[in-house]
Amino acid sequence: MSKVEVHYGATSDVGRVRQVNEDSYLASPPVFVVADGMGGHSGGDVASRIVIEEFAELVDSAHDPRGGAAAVAELLERAQSRINQYGIEQRLTGAEKWYAGTTAVVALLVEDDGVPKWLLANVGDSRIYRFSDGALEQVSVDHSVVQELVDAGTIAADDVASHPERHVVTRALGGPDDAEADYFLLPLVSVERLLLCSDGINGMIDDDTIAEVLGDVGDPRDAADRLVAAALDAGGRDNATAVVVDVVGLLSDDAYDSAPLHVSLEHKLGALP
Amino acid sequence: MTETEPTAASRRSIRPGGWFGIFGEQASVLLPPSEKRRVAALWELVDDGAGFDEVLDALLSSGLRDLPGFVLLSETEGPVKVVLRGPVKATFYTADEEISLDGSVAATWVERSLEGVTRSVIEVEDAPEGDELTLAAGLVRVARVEDPPVSADTGSAVGVESEDSTGFETGPAEPAPEPGPELEETEPETEPLPPPEPMPEPTPEPEAHPDPAAPAPPAPGGWAPAPPPGGSEHDGMTRAGDWDPLEFARQQPGIPGQQPAPSVVAKPVARLVISSGETVEVDRAVLVGRAPEARRFTSSEQPRLVTVPSPNQEISSTHLEVRPGSGADHGSAVVTDMGSTNGTVLVQPGLPPEDLQPGIAVQLIPGAIIDLGDGVTIQVTNP
Repeated sequence: MSKVEVHYGATSDVGRVRQVNEDSYLASPPVFVVADGMGGHSGGDVASRIVIEEFAELVDSAHDPRGGAAAVAELLERAQSRINQYGIEQRLTGAEKWYAGTTAVVALLVEDDGVPKWLLANVGDSRIYRFSDGALEQVSVDHSVVQELVDAGTIAADDVASHPERHVVTRALGGPDDAEADYFLLPLVSVERLLLCSDGINGMIDDDTIAEVLGDVGDPRDAADRLVAAALDAGGRDNATAVVVDVVGLLSDDAYDSAPLHVSLEHKLGALP
Repeated sequence: MTETEPTAASRRSIRPGGWFGIFGEQASVLLPPSEKRRVAALWELVDDGAGFDEVLDALLSSGLRDLPGFVLLSETEGPVKVVLRGPVKATFYTADEEISLDGSVAATWVERSLEGVTRSVIEVEDAPEGDELTLAAGLVRVARVEDPPVSADTGSAVGVESEDSTGFETGPAEPAPEPGPELEETEPETEPLPPPEPMPEPTPEPEAHPDPAAPAPPAPGGWAPAPPPGGSEHDGMTRAGDWDPLEFARQQPGIPGQQPAPSVVAKPVARLVISSGETVEVDRAVLVGRAPEARRFTSSEQPRLVTVPSPNQEISSTHLEVRPGSGADHGSAVVTDMGSTNGTVLVQPGLPPEDLQPGIAVQLIPGAIIDLGDGVTIQVTNP
């Protein structure tokens, strides 16, 4: 597979209100993950960390880049069962009302049809945005009550920010809910910059502000810092995590010149008929 | 006359109404008229001798939400178990008290287990005094059920008075009498009622009854169902739970009224020969374009992305989709223009060329040619 060179930056902050940072992230090519845990201390933080631990496997081992969505689904499933297992142990030790769940957004560089692509996945209301040609586009579709209401035409997209149930997710890992992820497959050329974030970012600052930061700040590390800082300035009511990834180049293993010649030297010299 | 029959053959008297009464050996169920679709299955269960727990399971199998009301009553020896939900009233008389239950006072249901019940009256609708029909087992429309039957003059019948008349025998103050002289007193009162003529023995049901020595219902120990899990566990901002999946059950994206296509089929339904030289089997969705993207798919149905060259940028990034057809198109491939900028022309054998309408799937015949522009064509062949 041709190697993809990426530059990236990641920042996470507990915010101004919360005591525990239940967000976790992983930024290590070829995989980038943000998980937003729910359930409080030794609940949500553990759940989101379990997701990160599972996906870290993709970094260390030589994973098959052609595994595609099924490979990601397997890791999500493993994270889900580990969280549930942890929950059973917690409840056995007396914490009867113990509960933990987590969202997850994943961006993985894969090879599809011999070409490197972004395989994206989301469970819950953490988001994946792409920034291309100066325009910000939300790629993932939130698994949240308000998104369902918008899709059903019950409420307008403008009312989402003020809706009382805007933080209620309809899918999560480890919860009682559906944990099936939605997947997206995008060619690298259509994505200049990817943003993975928890709702501590997009819940505090609007898309225009996000677009402004992603457009103004060249270095992805600075861009991630600036997004989290903007979310804190806007109130920081929730843990805020941002991972920004730029694809800066394709490093091809097989240079054009080294393509095997179909005509042998002997043929060229006329030594053979 | 029926009084020669053992009491088991005329266990109760009913007044006709709109509700469905399903009376069996081990348990009886009353369901509101709106629940007609459930009735047949429940009757089968109850008539086969299903016990209280089994019937309760069946009643609740699809959840409590779409079951506006019901009454479930055990018919076995021992304590009377009853569950009520919705606008129903039941009154039970024991030797020394009268217990009234009202299903509408609880958000979920009211359940009781009562010892020593000598008489019970269940009212699901307003039931004016009138025809009392006696019945052992069967499926019948009812408004009111009384057990033991009104005016059954076997020795075991007691408290023939219905509670809405003079009431001289009701009320906690006056214990329901044991079979005895008082019976005689009450009998004349009910006599004027249309005589409960030998109720045509509930049609073919008795034969269908299983052996009376049917297996006893499970021990009452574990019969109380757990309340439905509820509540939202949450912390901070993001939280889960507290929403109703059914609320969001909506149609799959696709053509309204048409079944969603099987996303991945075992055998390819067509082969696409692309002018760039590539050949693609259609065993799942295939997205063709200058830089195609696949959105919101599940892990088991990852589409195939086919990139075609477009030096003049005439082809859109995700131009069209070819997928195995469903419904009327089952077994063949269908092509859909994904809202491309410059459109798609389809030439099918024996048909004039047509411009594809964005979002409208068209069935492909082997031999068809799809023209995306910029000199790129796709030929459709048999796999």
